[in-house]
Amino acid sequence: MPLPSPSTPPRADALAKATGAERYAFDSIPEGCLHAGAFRPGARLGIAHGRVRGVDAGAALSIPGVVRVLTAADVPGPNLHGIIHRDQPVLCGEVIRHAGDPVALVLAETPEALRDGLAALRADIEPLPGAFDAAGALKPGAPLVHAGRKGGNLLLRAKIEKGDARAALKNAPVVVRGEFFTPVQEHAFLETQCGTARLLPDGTLDMTLSTQSPFRDRFEIGAGLGLDPLSIRIRAPHLGGGFGGKDGATVQCLLALAALNAGGRPVRMAWDREESVLAGFKRHAVRLRCALGADTDGTLLAHDCDMLFDTGAYAHLGGEVMELSMEHACGPYRIPNTRVTGRCVYTNNPIAGAFRGFGVAQASPAFEGLMDELAAKLGMDPLELRRRNALAGGDVNGAGVRLNASAHLPECLEAVAAHPLWAEREAWRASAPAFTMRGVGVAAVFNGMGYGRGLPDMAIAKVELTDAGGFRVYVSVADMGQGNASAFALLAAQELNQPPSSIELVMPDTERCHPSGSSSAGRTTYTFGNALIKACAGLRAKLASRAAMPLLRDTLDGLALEPGRVVHAPSGKALPLAVLARFLPHDDRICVAEFLMPVAQDVAGKAEGFLIGYPHLLFAYAAHLARIEVDGLTGRVRVCDYLCATDGGRVLHRQGFDQQAQGGAAQGIGYALFEEFRLDAGRSTTGDLGTYLIPTALDLPDIASLAVDGCEESGPHGLKGVGEVGLNGPAPAVAAALRHCLGDAAARRLRRLPFTPERVLAALKAGGTARNRRRA
Amino acid sequence: MRVQSPRDLAELFEALQTPGAQPLAGGTDLLVRLRAARKDGVKPLPASLVRLDGVEALRGVRREADGALRLGAASTHAELLAHPLVRAALPELAAALTQLGSPPIRNMGTLGGNICTASPAGDCLPPLYALGAVVELASQAGARRMRLAEFIAGPGRTGLKPGEVLAAAIVPPAPEFQVRHFEKVGRRGALAIAVVSLSALLRLERGRIAEARLAWGSVGPTVWRCPEAEAELVGRKPTLAALSAAAAVVRENVRPIGDLRASADYRRQVAGNLLLRLALL
Repeated sequence: MPLPSPSTPPRADALAKATGAERYAFDSIPEGCLHAGAFRPGARLGIAHGRVRGVDAGAALSIPGVVRVLTAADVPGPNLHGIIHRDQPVLCGEVIRHAGDPVALVLAETPEALRDGLAALRADIEPLPGAFDAAGALKPGAPLVHAGRKGGNLLLRAKIEKGDARAALKNAPVVVRGEFFTPVQEHAFLETQCGTARLLPDGTLDMTLSTQSPFRDRFEIGAGLGLDPLSIRIRAPHLGGGFGGKDGATVQCLLALAALNAGGRPVRMAWDREESVLAGFKRHAVRLRCALGADTDGTLLAHDCDMLFDTGAYAHLGGEVMELSMEHACGPYRIPNTRVTGRCVYTNNPIAGAFRGFGVAQASPAFEGLMDELAAKLGMDPLELRRRNALAGGDVNGAGVRLNASAHLPECLEAVAAHPLWAEREAWRASAPAFTMRGVGVAAVFNGMGYGRGLPDMAIAKVELTDAGGFRVYVSVADMGQGNASAFALLAAQELNQPPSSIELVMPDTERCHPSGSSSAGRTTYTFGNALIKACAGLRAKLASRAAMPLLRDTLDGLALEPGRVVHAPSGKALPLAVLARFLPHDDRICVAEFLMPVAQDVAGKAEGFLIGYPHLLFAYAAHLARIEVDGLTGRVRVCDYLCATDGGRVLHRQGFDQQAQGGAAQGIGYALFEEFRLDAGRSTTGDLGTYLIPTALDLPDIASLAVDGCEESGPHGLKGVGEVGLNGPAPAVAAALRHCLGDAAARRLRRLPFTPERVLAALKAGGTARNRRRA
Repeated sequence: MRVQSPRDLAELFEALQTPGAQPLAGGTDLLVRLRAARKDGVKPLPASLVRLDGVEALRGVRREADGALRLGAASTHAELLAHPLVRAALPELAAALTQLGSPPIRNMGTLGGNICTASPAGDCLPPLYALGAVVELASQAGARRMRLAEFIAGPGRTGLKPGEVLAAAIVPPAPEFQVRHFEKVGRRGALAIAVVSLSALLRLERGRIAEARLAWGSVGPTVWRCPEAEAELVGRKPTLAALSAAAAVVRENVRPIGDLRASADYRRQVAGNLLLRLALL
């Protein structure tokens, strides 16, 4: 992989991370802290849905070092939390709805006492019939996940409609159809869910968390435990990965409850890997049934898609993930008639929630799968078919939103088309050695940015001139590893005309920083970056004018901020910033500014069922290419080369941009080929990283990242968020490459992710079109 | 739990007399199991762990008088892989070691551990079976030898007696076999448990197969041999047709199970398919 050019400053966190000096929430082990752990008996008892008849803490409490065992009876307040729907108990007192539901919380003096205490706890749980698949959960008489809930197991039903898709499909000269399945995916971040909490004498609940949403967490904790949310202080140091899995309460409510019962001592909670898999949020499994109609020249006419989402035991962000999925269901194409229906269903499976690619990664294998099917039926080049229909600025997208923002998918496709990996695809296919098949596939993808209409996507940035004459940025959005903190340091340095070394970052702290939205939805750098630029511009102007008095200027003309000083260019006089800082009272040395993301106004389509967050205005686009090799004897797929061409607006920091593209592609290749979350009656049988397989370095090729020219006028220096779009490409690109090497019949059998060797071998056998199988 | 670190065989045998003593080689398997046992709080833990890595007599590679290689059981995978004798004389074992675990696992894990864990998926086992390896077992009473194929009784079960340790594997290098092959099918490129593996040795005379030794991993409770398929090959040239015929015999005879990693059908299919690769060698 190419090294960044010397002119690109390295990531601000590079050295600390490379040397192990970075302090994550996981590293926080306050002196004298208690250790808290949740008792989740469902997994051990093999029960995913059951009535809690009792918890026997006797044996656990007799273990030396076990301090408290708390149950639902100890939870103050409503004992229900959730980001939008408050349906998840902090501790379950009556029913467990999935195998990872907690029924007790143990506080102990040491991690060993905690472990032994948890092992000694006993729960009496009466098994209840469970709902373990979304389709079954909707049938009359299916077990109810939330008894007495109006609407039964159906969390949300929604529809998007533009034109008349059914009529257009009936009349379309060419129609292709397909049923696709996308699986549960585990975030598998390095740093598992963790944090510390302490109840201070003044009543403040002081927490340090591995979280993507420090400001919002306060309200989720407050609601769950009946606490004043504004008496909670949350700090969010750098995260060791998040990918959406730390958006919303994981340890938050349990830790807060522990701190309320710790007599003022600090409490630490850190899930181990098994608990992370058992209780953490997952990517939703989805079934998609779609039909795509086109004219004989490949012009798309209509798309009809029905989606069925399994949200697991609690709503979490199920409705919102389905919203974004539906909005993207027709792909990044101009299609006059669209109809998308969706149902999001409660089951007794693990809780599904946010995951990089937020519903879009579930939609892309289907819309791109049908595009390849259509290309095959038309006898058309699949890249040409995409170019013919790709959305560009000014077009109306599948949800009926006119794209009055930057949209450069055609340029992404051009970049791929011009690349040798695409140009030489037939030579690659023909070069396959014995027992091997080779192929190349492309996919076009996109991903909406921000929270969407109906929700304020806001950030507030504060920047301050320090006593020493440097600058301090109060960052309100967490950095989960994606590099936004580095981007902020760079933006501030540019805007203040200072060397990057003079910028100091305060990571999110609800007491010191200003309220802002979460680190998610491709909006982190965009929204906070805009606020930061505004704040820096304000401070820059203020400091230049504040220097007028000490520099004895009778007008503000010619005063400018330079590295370390304010200069009056005409006279050459300069005032060091360290002196200016002492000249001003502290309150005058700061500047605060906010930014609110624009929302879509011109919407032609109709939508029913969405409460908030629909539709989106801004999108990142990408074209991905996978060059693969399939072993005909084992079905093993190897991705040999990979290419992403991404429209993320103007690139602020090339290394950060490339890393986002590469990281997304790597995680997407895992989703496409390796990651298979298995459930048996709601219980995970792939409960650790020895059984749930993510790709290793040996399973990933070098990933080339191209940036197309673009500029999003509303973005900070023209930038768009690129954190998510990269995950949406690999599954459809690999599927297209499999079609290229195995043929159309085999490709039709490969509509369930991941493409394991077993599925590929079965498709190969049934497809029977393998060219090189017997060439030996 | 105590950890004892004997420095020679005498101290080792002494330490193993402690009630509840459990030998600890590289720990890559044992420590994982102990962690799980602690968490569950169900199974009792061993009273003490007896480290084998400090006992020099259990380490290293040397050639015996008859030409066989004596591989010390406490040698790590990385040590064996770096050893010129292993690389030159036992290419199929070297190939298996290259694909075993990951660099940290190979730095800790040992040959003896791989054998005594007696997993059907143990990466070293198919090559050792095909080569006709013998194990040397040592105890206070002295040393004894037995064929590896007899030593391993089933998944996790061996012929080790209380107070006894595996001292070495004695491996005839079988230079008369011209075709030597190892292939592991895992779900990913590293840190993967074998779904199916095959070690194959073919001895050719005037272009025809005079002797075939085939040993599969992960298709039965222990490494699986298929004398019927071996017989099918003898007397024929190693052509795709001959190998396909032998593969059909394999599919007919093999009785794999299905698990998380693959179905029984997949294992059956691939156990046969892997033979076809020999047509290229």
